Amino acid sequence: MSPYFILVPILLPILAGVLLMTFPIQDGKTRAVAVESVVILNSILVLVLLLNRPAERLYLFSFVEDLPLTLNIDGMATFFGGLVAFLWPLATLYTFEYMRHEERVNTFLSFYTITYGVTLGVAFAGNIVTMYLFYEALTMVTLPLVIHTMTEEAQAATRKYLNYMIGGTAFAFIGIVFYSLFCTNIEFVLGGNLDVANLGNYANVALLVYVLAFFGFGVKAAVFPFRGWLPTASVAPTPVTALLHAVAVVKSGVFAIMRLTYFCFGADFLKGTWAQTVVVAAVMVTIVYGSTMGVRENHLKRRLAYSTVANLSYILLGVTMMSPLGLTAGLCHMFVHAIMKISGFFCAGAVMHQTNKNYVYELDGLGLAMPATFTALLISGLSLTGIPLFAGFVSKWSIVQALLEQPSMMGYVGVFVLLYSALMTGIYMLSLNVRGWFSGGVAAKEANAQFHDPSWLMLLPLAIFSVLTVALGVYAQPLMTFIQSIATGTF
Amino acid sequence: MIALLIPMLLPIVVGVLLMVFPPRQRNVMLGIVLAALAVDLGLAVWVALQPEDALRLTLVTVTEGLTFYFQVDTVSKLFSVLVAFVWLLAGLAAFEYMGHEENEPRFFGFYLIVGGVLAALCYSGNLFTFYVFYELMTLTSAPLVMHELTHEAIMAGLKYLFYSVGGAFLVLFGFFLFAAQGADLTFTAGGVLDASAATGVARLAVFLMILGFGTKAGMFPMHGWLPTAHPVAPAPASAVLSGVITKAGVLGIVRSVYYIAGPELIRGTWVQYAWIGLTLVTVFMGSMLAYRENLLKKRLAYSTVSQVSYVLFGLSLLQPVAFVGALLHVVFHSLVKDGLFLSAGAIICKTGRTKVDELKGIGKEMPVTMWCFTLAGVTLVGIPPTSAFVSKWYLATGSLASGIPAVSWLGPVVLLVSALLTAGYLLTVSIDAFLPGSDYDYAALEKHEPTWQMLVPIVVLTALAVLLGVWPGGLTSLLTGVASSVL
Repeated sequence: MSPYFILVPILLPILAGVLLMTFPIQDGKTRAVAVESVVILNSILVLVLLLNRPAERLYLFSFVEDLPLTLNIDGMATFFGGLVAFLWPLATLYTFEYMRHEERVNTFLSFYTITYGVTLGVAFAGNIVTMYLFYEALTMVTLPLVIHTMTEEAQAATRKYLNYMIGGTAFAFIGIVFYSLFCTNIEFVLGGNLDVANLGNYANVALLVYVLAFFGFGVKAAVFPFRGWLPTASVAPTPVTALLHAVAVVKSGVFAIMRLTYFCFGADFLKGTWAQTVVVAAVMVTIVYGSTMGVRENHLKRRLAYSTVANLSYILLGVTMMSPLGLTAGLCHMFVHAIMKISGFFCAGAVMHQTNKNYVYELDGLGLAMPATFTALLISGLSLTGIPLFAGFVSKWSIVQALLEQPSMMGYVGVFVLLYSALMTGIYMLSLNVRGWFSGGVAAKEANAQFHDPSWLMLLPLAIFSVLTVALGVYAQPLMTFIQSIATGTF
Repeated sequence: MIALLIPMLLPIVVGVLLMVFPPRQRNVMLGIVLAALAVDLGLAVWVALQPEDALRLTLVTVTEGLTFYFQVDTVSKLFSVLVAFVWLLAGLAAFEYMGHEENEPRFFGFYLIVGGVLAALCYSGNLFTFYVFYELMTLTSAPLVMHELTHEAIMAGLKYLFYSVGGAFLVLFGFFLFAAQGADLTFTAGGVLDASAATGVARLAVFLMILGFGTKAGMFPMHGWLPTAHPVAPAPASAVLSGVITKAGVLGIVRSVYYIAGPELIRGTWVQYAWIGLTLVTVFMGSMLAYRENLLKKRLAYSTVSQVSYVLFGLSLLQPVAFVGALLHVVFHSLVKDGLFLSAGAIICKTGRTKVDELKGIGKEMPVTMWCFTLAGVTLVGIPPTSAFVSKWYLATGSLASGIPAVSWLGPVVLLVSALLTAGYLLTVSIDAFLPGSDYDYAALEKHEPTWQMLVPIVVLTALAVLLGVWPGGLTSLLTGVASSVL
């Protein structure tokens, strides 16, 4: 297939979004059909593209001589692009129902659709400069989505979001500048392109640059101490918190760190250095912080957001082991976390949409009124906790494999951090379900009689994610084989 | 052999169906439950009669290193028959007890599901499979704890969940570590790890596994949930929680120490000494707390804390005679404690009295129930010729023969003191029950004896508990065989 085809799925949603903004559709149903068709069409295009990958990279143009813009589809791009393409149509479906009573739906949906194209751009970027470009664009196009409700709270959250993101990209930019000096070739290659032989005395500088860039991209991945924006940003409408702040935006941060670590600096160069120690420590602190705060938080969506903070660092804990097993584990949890967390957020959104309840202590007895939603929440919670038979256990298992590959104190501590976090996750997720199904008694039953499960538009995505979570928990071998082939470069 | 799945899946499927489509008539539901429990006991016995190597079953492989595998050895047979038997009797008693509770289909649904999960736990052939069903057991038994839906019950349920999940994660460290070292974690008598190459981390992992599984068995310092959670459940559920589910923790320790790590890995190390210390502390502390407790069911729960640690003490000695004593005590304590809890349930159900000091003269009102309570109490104290005497004899002999300095004689002393306390907290109840004193108003005496649905289980459990002490031969020789294979 011609490499130019890579541009199509990136540009199509952007174009569609701009069109929708320029010529708004007033009728809700028509708008829904139009947007959903574009999104599904685009996902099909991505699928076709991924199944017939162009053999060479697409060279667009150069900013200056050494900074070309290229697009390329390798294993990583296939993985992230495929994940995004799978989730977007389902999340869009959910959006229609959720946004039914909101204002300015046209603007919202245009930016939502544009984000799809930009995220694919991050996935398909062929070198770090191109990725940086789309990465910045992602911040900008998601800004209107966070501020959407225009309340004071949303404005404050958006300001915080912007400050963190701009700060992060500044760090990342420093990293990219130095990297372009240190590398032989700026394109992504598994194993890295760092010119180690000619680095000489600058090895420590290179490590420092890596650490800076790690934390720069880590802002989107909510690595400690740059995690503050994520819980605050959960004031955004649920489709944003679910898809963008559990998958697209935050996973772009994680994806960027994977690219930076394995495809730019190279895992071999980083393994065993002080840089690795620094980033591993930061990641572990994030896990402990996120899961502990999750227990303390009473706002349903913020609790899930803290859980995301911890889980993103699970991925990074795998990634920072600087080994093929580590990358495998990271990718595995990236996929698994995406489906189970989006499912959790959608449940929270369904509760908010149906009952206007936002806090954990308001959930008493709601499970009996909304059984389908709470079953999905239960599955998502058990999977996040890492109970076997659910997908979360499989990915946790692979992270631990990476941690214990070589006996070292770092690995053991990592396992204990994971187990501590798993217990905390058990506490904050299982207590939701106990409240939903068992608490409240007769009084809650009467008070909840007016509530019921949402329509199929919301339930269908939930059902798909729940079934997938259980299916992967019982039989994950095909997924693991696929991911292993990416991580070892044989894909 | 795929037929092995039937005893596990049958109760689970029936239980789920019962909850999804609750029968309209109560008698239909009870009939279904009784049939399922009886068939399940039949299946467990059938499995137990098969030759050992015929029962192997490999199901799916989730991903490398995570394979569902079942196998049946003598320990599986012993535990699975015990579980199915007690499940049937306690289920029968629940027919009457649950008559005055709400949400019966949910109770019996989860009751059946837990029974199936326990069967799977007994038949698990490797550590992964065991762990899966161990977690499922926690999750599916929590609704039994929370059944009454009061604030107290839900808080107790949460405490139960959090302790158990935390304990399971301690176990997980060992599983992760040994699997990462490339060990094939199929249960093999004598263990699969190389004791001579053991590292400090491996020992720590074994200790954490003991502590983790010990959570379910109510071992200090992870016992806190047990006296909270067991008494708030409906009596038949407390009976199986105390009598059987604690033994799942014991089974976990047996599997991890004797079938995965191997006794040689921890013999004479700090792990063994720490373990012995914890069990002795628990034995004494449990009896002491039971002695001071006024709520009958809570007193029985503390008694469970103490008695299950008798079992763990026997296991911690890593000595064949003590091992036999421990497994004998698993069986005997199970029968006794279920009998006691069901008697307490009969009292609550018929008279509404829950405190020990309200039980004056109850023996006049419910003679059969209280006679069983007394005989079970005598058994638990360990007075010959009842069954617990036999198990305690083995435990004490094993302890003296173990040759571990101080422990070899300290152990029996603690067991004896605890037995005295047991007499103090159980037999005093009987004395007050039958000898209410001169101010008891005989004119107002009313008979409160429960119906046969409760009496049959209580009588059968008590009779077995007493009689197995007279004829323990078959069981003992069976367990001696197991002990010689693992030690």
